Amino acid sequence: MKTILTALVATTALTGAAFAESHTDTITVGITQNNVGVDSYQTTYEQAFIEAAEGMDNVEAVVLDAGGDVARQIAQMQDLIQQQVDVIVIWPTNGQAVVPAVRAASQANIPVVVTNSNIAEEGFDFIASFSGPNNVQQGASSAELMCEALADDGQDPSEATGQIVQISGQPGYTTAIERQEGFEDRLAEACPGVEILETQPGDWNREKSQRVMENFLVKYDQIDGVYSGDDNMGVGALNAAKAADRVGEMALIGATNFAVGYEAMAAGEYYGSIYQSPVDDAQNALKTAIAVVNGEEVPFLNYFETPKITRDNMDEFSKPVF
Amino acid sequence: MSKVETETAASAKGHAPDESAPGPDTSRSWVQIISAQGILIAFAVFLLGFGLFSDRFLSFENMESVLRSSSIIGVMALGVTVVVLSGNLDLSVGSMLSFGTVMVVDLHDKIGAAPAMGVMMVAVLALGCINGFLVGILKLNSLIVTLGMLSAIQGLTLIYSGGQNVDIAPSTQSTTWFRVFGRGDIAGLDMPIIIFAVLAILLHCAIAFTAYGRRVYAVGGNPTAAVFSGIRRGRVVFSTYVISAACVGFASIILGSRVMGSQNNVGQGYELLVLAGVILGGTSLLGGSGSIFKTVVGVLILGFIQNGLLLMGYPYYAQWIVTWIVIILAVWLDIAGKRGRLFSPIA
Repeated sequence: MKTILTALVATTALTGAAFAESHTDTITVGITQNNVGVDSYQTTYEQAFIEAAEGMDNVEAVVLDAGGDVARQIAQMQDLIQQQVDVIVIWPTNGQAVVPAVRAASQANIPVVVTNSNIAEEGFDFIASFSGPNNVQQGASSAELMCEALADDGQDPSEATGQIVQISGQPGYTTAIERQEGFEDRLAEACPGVEILETQPGDWNREKSQRVMENFLVKYDQIDGVYSGDDNMGVGALNAAKAADRVGEMALIGATNFAVGYEAMAAGEYYGSIYQSPVDDAQNALKTAIAVVNGEEVPFLNYFETPKITRDNMDEFSKPVF
Repeated sequence: MSKVETETAASAKGHAPDESAPGPDTSRSWVQIISAQGILIAFAVFLLGFGLFSDRFLSFENMESVLRSSSIIGVMALGVTVVVLSGNLDLSVGSMLSFGTVMVVDLHDKIGAAPAMGVMMVAVLALGCINGFLVGILKLNSLIVTLGMLSAIQGLTLIYSGGQNVDIAPSTQSTTWFRVFGRGDIAGLDMPIIIFAVLAILLHCAIAFTAYGRRVYAVGGNPTAAVFSGIRRGRVVFSTYVISAACVGFASIILGSRVMGSQNNVGQGYELLVLAGVILGGTSLLGGSGSIFKTVVGVLILGFIQNGLLLMGYPYYAQWIVTWIVIILAVWLDIAGKRGRLFSPIA
C-alpha cells in the first residue's frame, strides 16, 4: 500500500508533497460531470477518469453525470455528501447555480475539486482547487498564432497586419468568455495591426459556425484570418471558406484541437490550434482530488499544459481521439 | 388564409358555416385584405428594409446563401406543416435530425453512401411510424408523444454514437458523390436549394390538389365530421408522421453532406425553429388551415431575418427576439382578419 501511494505521489508531480497523514483506507472519489455523451471530449474524459481510477488500487470512483441538468447535478451533490465520499469532483453544469451545493459539501467537511470549467467566484471559498485548462492563456496563445500566421515572410509577428473575424463559443459559457478575452487582449498587445472586423457566436456547433462564416464571406471581401473558440467551429468555418473558394486568403486558427482540425492542419488548410487532451484533463482532476485528500499543498488554480499546435510541430502530438 | 379555410370547410362538410364567411369584397375590411396576404406583405417589407440597410443584402450571392442555409429547416418544415394541417404537432423532428445525420455520416465510411442513406431513411421512417402509431392509431395527445420522442430519440442517438462526434474521413470528403447533396450545384444553383424547392412543389401539389390532401385538411379541420364522412382518420394521421419523418431524412442527408460530420445534438432546438416557420407562414396550430407554400415563405422570412441581422452586425440571437415580434404580429393580423377589425371587446 505504501509503495503504491508513494508511486502515486511521484507521478502527481505536485509541489510541496507533504505526505503527512497517510490514508490507509481506500479513497472514495465522487464525480458529478456536466453532460457526458453530448460531445466526444466529455465522453473521452469520463473514460479516462474511470481508467485512471481503476489504475490505482486504493481509489474507488463514484462516477455520476448530470446530463447538463443543474437540478440533477445538485441532487447528485447531495447524494455524494450522504455517501460521505472523501472528495467530490464537480464539472459544473452552471458555474453560478451549483455554488450552494458546493457550499453544502464544504460544510459537511468534504473537499470539492472543480474540474474543466470553474464555478462562480463567490464559490471559491468552498472549493479546495480548480483543475482544468487555462482558457485565458489558450485565447492568448491563439492570438500569438494569429500574429505569426499573418506576418509576411521575415516580418516580425508584432508588425503583422490584417483583418480577421472571430467565431466565439456559446454565449454565457465561461470557456467561451475567457478564450475570447484572452484572445482579444493578447491580440491588441502582440500585433496591434490586426483588426477584428466582427465577432459572432457559433455555439460550439459546426453547422451554425458554417452558416455564420457564410455570412461573413458575403459581408467582407477580404478576410485574412478566422479565430474560432474551438476546432469544431473552426472546421465549420473552413467548410464555408472552401465552398466559397476562399481558403487561400485566410489563416484559420482554433482551440481545443479536434481530430478534424488535426487532419485539416495536416492537409495545410488549417493554420494552428491549441492542444487540449481530455485524458490530461481527467488525470489532472483525479490527481488533484487525491492530493487534496492526502492533505498535500495544491495550487488553487491547478492548470494542466495546453500547448500550441501547428503544422510544424504536430508530429509531437498524437491525433485527438475526438 | 381565410380562403383556404373556406375551401377546407366545404370539403370537410362539417365546418360551422358561419366561421369565415366567403362574402363578396364589399364585406371585407382593409384589415381582412391585409391579413389575407399579410405574410407576403411582411416578406416584401423585410426584403426592402434590410436591402436599404445593407447593399449586399439583395445580392445574388447573399440570396443564395440565405436559401441554402434555410433549406434544412425548410425541408423539415414541409413535413411538419402536413402534420400540423391534420391537427397535430411534431416536436420530435429536431432530435430526429440529429439521429439521421449522425447515422448517415457514421455509416457513410462503413458501408458506402447509398446503403448509408437507405439504412438511415428506413430507421428514420420507423421512428415516424412510431409517432404515427401512437398519435394516429392509439389517439394519444401529439404534444406528449412527440415531446417524449424528442428526448427518447436524443437518447437513442447518444447510444448509437457512444457520445462521439462522427466525421466522414477527410480523404473521402472530396471524392465521395455524397457531397453532391450539400455542396453540389446544378447550373450554379446550390443543391440544397434545389432539393428544398422540388420537395416543396411535390408536397404542395400533394396537399393542395389531391384527395389525400383534402383528407388531411378535413381531419385537421373537423375530425369528427371527417370520420363521419368516411375518412379513416387514424391512417391519415399516421401517414402525416411518415411524411414528416421522410422530410427529416432528406434534411439529414443535406446536413450530413454539407458539414461532412455531425455532433450528437446538431438538431437541438430545430423543432422550434421549424414550428416558428410553420406558424409564421400562417398555418393554424389547430389544424385544417394553412398551406405548404406559405410555410416556405415563413421559413424564408426566418432565414432573411437571421441573415439581415447578421449583415447589420447584430448577434444571431437577436433574431429570436425579432422572430417573436414577427410571429405575434402575424398571429394578431390573422385573428384581426378573421374578426374584421384590429381590436375587439370579445375574443
